[in-house]
Amino acid sequence: MNHSSDSRSEKGSILVRAITRASSQNINLMEVCGTHTVSIFRHGLRTIIPENIKMISGPGCPVCVTDQGDIDAALELAEEDMVTMATYGDMLRVPGTSTSLADLKARGRDIRIITSASQCIEIAEKDPQKEIVFFSVGFETTAPATASMLLEAQKKGLENLSVISLHKRTPPVLETLASDPGIKIDGFILPGHVSVILGHDPYRSIPERYGIPSCITGFEPEDILSGIFSIVRQIEEGKPRLTSVYGRVVKKEGNIKAKELMAEVFEYCDARWRGIGEIKSSGLAIKEKYRKLDAQYKWNLKTKEVEPPAGCRCGDVLSGRITPPECPLFRTICTPSSPVGPCMVSSEGSCSAYYRFRGGAESWNR
Amino acid sequence: MCLAVPHRIIEIIDSGRAFAATGNIKVEIRTDLIEDPSIGDPVLVHAGFAIEKLDMEDSKELENLWEEIREYADES
Amino acid sequence: MFSLLQISGRCRKLEQITLGHGSGGRLTEQLIKNITELFPSGRKDPSVSDLEDCTFLSNDIAVTIDSFTVSPRIFPGGNIGKLAVCGSTNDLAVRGVRPEWLVMSVVIEEGMDMEEFNGYMESAAAVCRDLGVKLSAGDTKVVPRNSLDGLFITTCALGTADTPFYWGMNNIKPGDRIAVTRSIGAHGATIGAARYDLGSKTLSSDCAALWPAIKEITKDRSVRAMRDCTRGGLGTVLCEWAEGTDLGIEIEEKEIPISSEVISVCDVLGFDPLYLACEGCAAIVFDPEGEDRILSALARHKDCSEIKVIGEVVDEHKKMVGMKTDIGGMRVIDMPVAEMLPRIC
Repeated sequence: MNHSSDSRSEKGSILVRAITRASSQNINLMEVCGTHTVSIFRHGLRTIIPENIKMISGPGCPVCVTDQGDIDAALELAEEDMVTMATYGDMLRVPGTSTSLADLKARGRDIRIITSASQCIEIAEKDPQKEIVFFSVGFETTAPATASMLLEAQKKGLENLSVISLHKRTPPVLETLASDPGIKIDGFILPGHVSVILGHDPYRSIPERYGIPSCITGFEPEDILSGIFSIVRQIEEGKPRLTSVYGRVVKKEGNIKAKELMAEVFEYCDARWRGIGEIKSSGLAIKEKYRKLDAQYKWNLKTKEVEPPAGCRCGDVLSGRITPPECPLFRTICTPSSPVGPCMVSSEGSCSAYYRFRGGAESWNR
Repeated sequence: MCLAVPHRIIEIIDSGRAFAATGNIKVEIRTDLIEDPSIGDPVLVHAGFAIEKLDMEDSKELENLWEEIREYADES
Repeated sequence: MFSLLQISGRCRKLEQITLGHGSGGRLTEQLIKNITELFPSGRKDPSVSDLEDCTFLSNDIAVTIDSFTVSPRIFPGGNIGKLAVCGSTNDLAVRGVRPEWLVMSVVIEEGMDMEEFNGYMESAAAVCRDLGVKLSAGDTKVVPRNSLDGLFITTCALGTADTPFYWGMNNIKPGDRIAVTRSIGAHGATIGAARYDLGSKTLSSDCAALWPAIKEITKDRSVRAMRDCTRGGLGTVLCEWAEGTDLGIEIEEKEIPISSEVISVCDVLGFDPLYLACEGCAAIVFDPEGEDRILSALARHKDCSEIKVIGEVVDEHKKMVGMKTDIGGMRVIDMPVAEMLPRIC
């Protein structure tokens, strides 16, 4: 059936009608990808899905879940005179305990915004006197690019380039959320582009072991609504399984070449997720074979355990326990122009999204 | 955490790089993460890297789901 | 200037001015407020909201000032010289003021190519000639290499009121319609593409003088208010209107004219087109009674041929701007905080 003749608003009406008629219970659906969080707000989806379906944002923003101690260690390194720190734009304004990359840039430190990991190679080759350090965050969508860049750097024998790998893995945090008795999640909207890399298998335990319906979903509003419908149907049928509405992009086996590159360069390590704590095997560390390019070793980075600022409830927001407006600092002390925690400063953080979109449905008198 | 945009490969530069276009915008991308990139291939690009080749047709699973969607919406 | 945050004994001061303070959003708003509060007001009527694009010094004479630091200095559709005159004269034009005089300051980095500099001045002069604007006074400074990035131009434009009516946000009423004079975000997208290496044969800044079009409607009493959508884009203007008038605004996503090139740049860099700078696009609020007249008068000009009504002013959702999205939902639009950065998430 060819649906391309339906306009977007027609498709929207059809999907909303179908979801409303198919769902009868009060349910909580969690999306674990910051890009989903933003897309849901940007298209105003909360204003059209039925009220018995509550959308919760999970820890899907790799910037938000980067541990403050890790951020502080990177920022300390960025203050060194001979260091050029390369970063994606997303990390620029994230606050550490006392400063941020944006502040350091304003004070004259060499901080470069890049749009592709491969630009680190270009910068390193152009400026052999400087030490290039790539502050690398992201989930499995982004980690393969870092892996590819590291292999190229190794091949070229570059001595003035290193990477702080703070990449994290999604399946372990999903399992942590699924097994937490304190959070009621009736369905997961799974991250479409992480799935491009991973494929289907890493998620199977969620419906099979934890009984939570899950659907791999893209980012257009029709994708998200179809994903919600699929999960609603599974809940009503009492048959949790893994489905996908993003087959045009996600292969069941994922991207094997990308996975091989990651496996060549990275190994699993335990990692601290801001607000959640340590999750076993949830991080990607650079293997010993590539240690010369590992900034943690090259610069002897020491991560201190840092208490989040008093009153900051980023952790509870990230795990979906509270919504941003329920945090006492939200909109009072913690605002996008003076953020306390990463959930407010990252473009995909729940708090930032709630703030920028003024809470969406709640404030528009739904 | 996944801003990615469909592009079409318009020129191969070398074994790891290509030019790709989205709308009338042309960018240089890395192709190390996909097999056999060729001119004309639709690809999904994230952070300057092509992370998958696209299948422009919706999948069978989604087509079947839409039959159910239309049923519930009273369309069919 | 700094703001002090006290969190259970630990202080966090924002001690530096950052690029965010110059991006046209909330940080800029804060910066401006801190400055203006220190000075005696020179405005003719201090009770009138100060968020208009120019200020009346007397009943007839209005003034505005702006600085131009754009990088790259040359871009598809214009250069810093053309931008400096269009930008300031547009700020007069949107209040129905005929631009007549220009006062200009140039601060030049040592080492700039003379031919390059002359090129910018020629472009600025060409716009003045087209508009009948006279260069009345000026200043030049040369600073040592690396003190600034090439060239900064500051233009102060003055003019006389061509409209007998008051054009400003205090005029705006529920039921008024809102239009944009052309597709949005072209300038911001062009600069973003240049900065982050996106190629395009067709993408071009919308840099243009709006007075030739606007002068056609200065005698139409249906015009309520107009703003030049510069840094911070259309979204910022709409938010400033809603907050300044204590009314609500509702627009429709599908009505907003936007080129496919701008959409692609936004997709790739993760920008929101509502906040991209424009340099030849005005937002206009008008009494629906004058809709046909205003639209047809403006549409005759090549820079306003894409003019489109995008929404209206409402009595509910006070101080808020809502956009009905393509899929049928309602998205609330707030002001951007700081400059947009390319993102991968």
